[in-house]
Amino acid sequence: MNTTNDQNEEIDFSKAEAILDEYEGVHGALIPVLQKIQGAYGYLQEPVINLVAERMNMSASEIVGVATFYAQFHLKPRGVHIIKVCCGTACHVKGAPNIVGKFSEVLDVPVGSTTEDKLFTLEEVACIGACSLAPVAMIDEDVHGKLGPDNVPSIVEEVK
Amino acid sequence: MITLKIDNQDVTVPRGTDIFLAAKQNGIYIPGLCHHPKLTQYGGCRLCMVEVTERGRTQHRFSCAQPVSEGMEVKTKTPEIVKYTKSVMEYLLAQHPLDCPTCDKSGECGLQDITHDLKLATGRFKSARMNKPMRRDNPILEFNANRCILCGRCVKMCKDIEGVGAIDFQNRGISTAIGTAFDKPLDCTFCGGCLSVCPTGSWQDRTFKFRARPWELKKTMSICPYCAVGCSIQVNTKNDTVLRITSRDDVGNNEGNLCIKGRFGHDFVHSEKRLKAPLIRKEGVLSPVPWDEAINYIAKRFGEIKNEYGGESIGGIGSEKCTNEDNYVFQKFCRTVLETNNIDNLSNIKSPSLNALIHKSIVHGFTSTTSLQEMEKADTLFFIGTDVSEAHPVIGTLARKAIRLNKADLIIANLRDVHFNSTAQNDIRLQYGFRTQTVLINALIKKIVEGKLIDLKRVEKFTAGINEFKSSLKISTIEKASQITGVPEKTILAAATLLAKPGNCFIVCGKDIEEDPYGHEAIKALMNLCALINKASTPRAGVGKISLIFSRINNNTQGVNDMGVVPEFFPGYLDIDDQANRERFEGSWELKLSDSITKGGGDNIIDLALQGALKGMFVVGENPIVNFPNGKVVKEAFESLEFVVVQDTFLTETAQLADVVLPTTTFAEKNGTYTNMAMEVQRLRTAIPPVGEARQDWQIFCEIAQKMGAEFSYASPKEILDEIVNTVPIFSGMNYGLMNRRGFNWVTEHRLKAKRYRFDIFKPKPVEKKKRGYPFVLLTGPSLNHLGSFSRNSEALVSVSPECVAEINGIDARKLNIKSGDTVSVESIHDSMKIKAKVSNKLPEGVIFVPEDYEWVHVNALRDNVYTKVKLSKV
Repeated sequence: MNTTNDQNEEIDFSKAEAILDEYEGVHGALIPVLQKIQGAYGYLQEPVINLVAERMNMSASEIVGVATFYAQFHLKPRGVHIIKVCCGTACHVKGAPNIVGKFSEVLDVPVGSTTEDKLFTLEEVACIGACSLAPVAMIDEDVHGKLGPDNVPSIVEEVK
Repeated sequence: MITLKIDNQDVTVPRGTDIFLAAKQNGIYIPGLCHHPKLTQYGGCRLCMVEVTERGRTQHRFSCAQPVSEGMEVKTKTPEIVKYTKSVMEYLLAQHPLDCPTCDKSGECGLQDITHDLKLATGRFKSARMNKPMRRDNPILEFNANRCILCGRCVKMCKDIEGVGAIDFQNRGISTAIGTAFDKPLDCTFCGGCLSVCPTGSWQDRTFKFRARPWELKKTMSICPYCAVGCSIQVNTKNDTVLRITSRDDVGNNEGNLCIKGRFGHDFVHSEKRLKAPLIRKEGVLSPVPWDEAINYIAKRFGEIKNEYGGESIGGIGSEKCTNEDNYVFQKFCRTVLETNNIDNLSNIKSPSLNALIHKSIVHGFTSTTSLQEMEKADTLFFIGTDVSEAHPVIGTLARKAIRLNKADLIIANLRDVHFNSTAQNDIRLQYGFRTQTVLINALIKKIVEGKLIDLKRVEKFTAGINEFKSSLKISTIEKASQITGVPEKTILAAATLLAKPGNCFIVCGKDIEEDPYGHEAIKALMNLCALINKASTPRAGVGKISLIFSRINNNTQGVNDMGVVPEFFPGYLDIDDQANRERFEGSWELKLSDSITKGGGDNIIDLALQGALKGMFVVGENPIVNFPNGKVVKEAFESLEFVVVQDTFLTETAQLADVVLPTTTFAEKNGTYTNMAMEVQRLRTAIPPVGEARQDWQIFCEIAQKMGAEFSYASPKEILDEIVNTVPIFSGMNYGLMNRRGFNWVTEHRLKAKRYRFDIFKPKPVEKKKRGYPFVLLTGPSLNHLGSFSRNSEALVSVSPECVAEINGIDARKLNIKSGDTVSVESIHDSMKIKAKVSNKLPEGVIFVPEDYEWVHVNALRDNVYTKVKLSKV
């Protein structure tokens, strides 16, 4: 089996093996297994999915089918910090597209991808329920409200 | 049974049937695209809405997902339903490219048919076309996502029936598409199942693309010419050219499922390399001649040899690929015109005791299936020494059906860790060590007997010698057997428990056992096991039964033996030395058999040729130099002969050595019957006239016989069959008319009372020592993509699988510093070959596995009659 991922890093399968051992013989355990594996590896990489397929007697295409159905699973590497810019109605009205654009410019990545140093992943989300603070963004678990394009660089620096 | 009303018509169907199927079976049409009788219910296309009135309540239901109930009233065409169905179609068509003029599916497309039925014109929705790229990453199948309506049929086909799961729904919402994991190229068995169930033109057969419109094709029901499962196929022809193979879900024992060879491996019929005209060796070169000249020459030379050395100096090799009719005429020609009994077929030379063992198993009622399809009713499946997914892929689909619908348990015993995808709850794999198969079976028996897993009293009532048998088991212990075989004791126990449980038990005994030098011991042990667990022999007959099926390699390997192309038997396994049998055939053939027609000394015809006892040879549709173990010796044998005639469709290695080569027909041009490994005689029909100057095999025999002065003529295969039916007791009652949908099973047709079984007590021979300097054992086996000269000349199959690789164990590979893809040299005392290696952990240490069905790879030249010892080195 391929033991390096698409970034050519060696993969340590022992964490995945341990998770799979825990769910050995449990019927319908795919989603919890994938959640734990994503927790351990940050994202679902191809060699690990192939291992899950082999151990759970499923086909890789079925597992990828499940993983691509749910928004919670990621098949591409994610950054250390996840920036979620709210693009809900209130934030949109208050200029969320500009905020997204600025983040994208500062980090130098398109929306939905991860910076080269793997520090940030930039995502758009529908609504985080903090409309009173619009436009708003979440960086990891912290909420940053009443944003303007000018605040963006300093927030990014702060998190770094 | 449930009675309900559909569109005011009373309909009675079994409980559990869905409304959709109930309507369909009674000629009432409900539109639907995702429903398929052999797939699990999905309810995804939303087209089959009906109005259901039940207990005074009227509701709208999807008919494919609603089981019938007593007194239900169903209406399929109320204005509301029609309006609903039309709007669903509008949604489906909003994204459909409507490229029917350039789509191969046009004319047999479910979506197109429903559009016409509902008289849909311009839709209300304007939608941008998807313009997704065509997926064209393999030589056989292509996928056009734009035409896909996401009915999920192909996904279920691939996962449930073929057991591969190469494709699934990927992504979500509007971007959902059928695809592979990580968008990798399609990596599957290429069974073409997706193609056969797709209701639109999304999956396309690249070998057929743009060559014909469906309505131009003539479809002829026939039987697949590859393996011994004998799948029913439809040969699609246009202008006397075979363009594609399709299948029908309701005919034959394959339920419309085929493998890559059956579905795509048909292009050899029109291969450029086919023999076009008879060839005679003139000044050392095979040169084309007219038929008359070839026939005259053969008659003259065979006549001369017969006069000079006697008829028995001519050998005949019958064909495992020709029809029963061809083989019957061949043995009759050899025995009555050439007056030789030195006739045989390769399968019988390879496993000389197999015919007698199969006969024994029939006599005792162990082989009692009416068709292979009965396997889907199995409760326990036991595959021993067979690689089902490579050798008989469609048996795999039947087994998976039993596992899926019948919750069957699966036991696979093999030397290699063979690949078989299953979802069986109990899936036990017994990977035994080299030459320990008999020890393993005996250990299973010991566990069943001593663990009292069955009612031994009952067994005693219907068998003989059980007490001696029981005491013979005491010699060894399970512990010791576990040590010898390498199978853990716990696994032996688990397998024994499954085998002993009540219900139908299907055992498939494979080639690895049959062709093993000690295979007959394993088969005897297997029959002891059958006698123990055969519930048919208990008073509660019919509660469960055993079915022991012997794997055969080619489409008509069973038939060539049935037709008596063996030295021991007349057709129908009638002892050739028995006076009554001789009289039976003398009467039917209206002649007196020569005294030389007897069993002989037991040497096979290859040995006889080597000893110089043969001067001439007539080979029909076989390539023994490549297909027979120890090909080098066979070549020597052939070179020592004065006169060799080869009758084949291609200029094989054997034909290249011949003095006369005669072009003959393939399955598409033939009419007659093949017999599969469950003893089902099945009908194939002429789809196209003979290609080029090829003539039918039986016709050629008749012509040579007539030239040699014999009265020997048949008008058609039907006349030959009539003679078989009237002369050979096991085939009495058979006729072509009976074989339209089902085969004629010569075992179960005559409901013979099973004979009392006497347990066979024998001592397995000890394991032999390794030859010095040859540390590896060469193992050969089947291949999914290839089988003999047909697949070799099929561009489609060669393009999918162009290269044969040798598998070696990871530990051995590390020792020899071999990586996958390296070229290695394999050398035995007979010959050596260079081949690419593949490191695989499916093999035990010290074993090299090379598929033997890539006809251009001469692995058989390395083999000998016992285990072949080889050495291995990196090149």
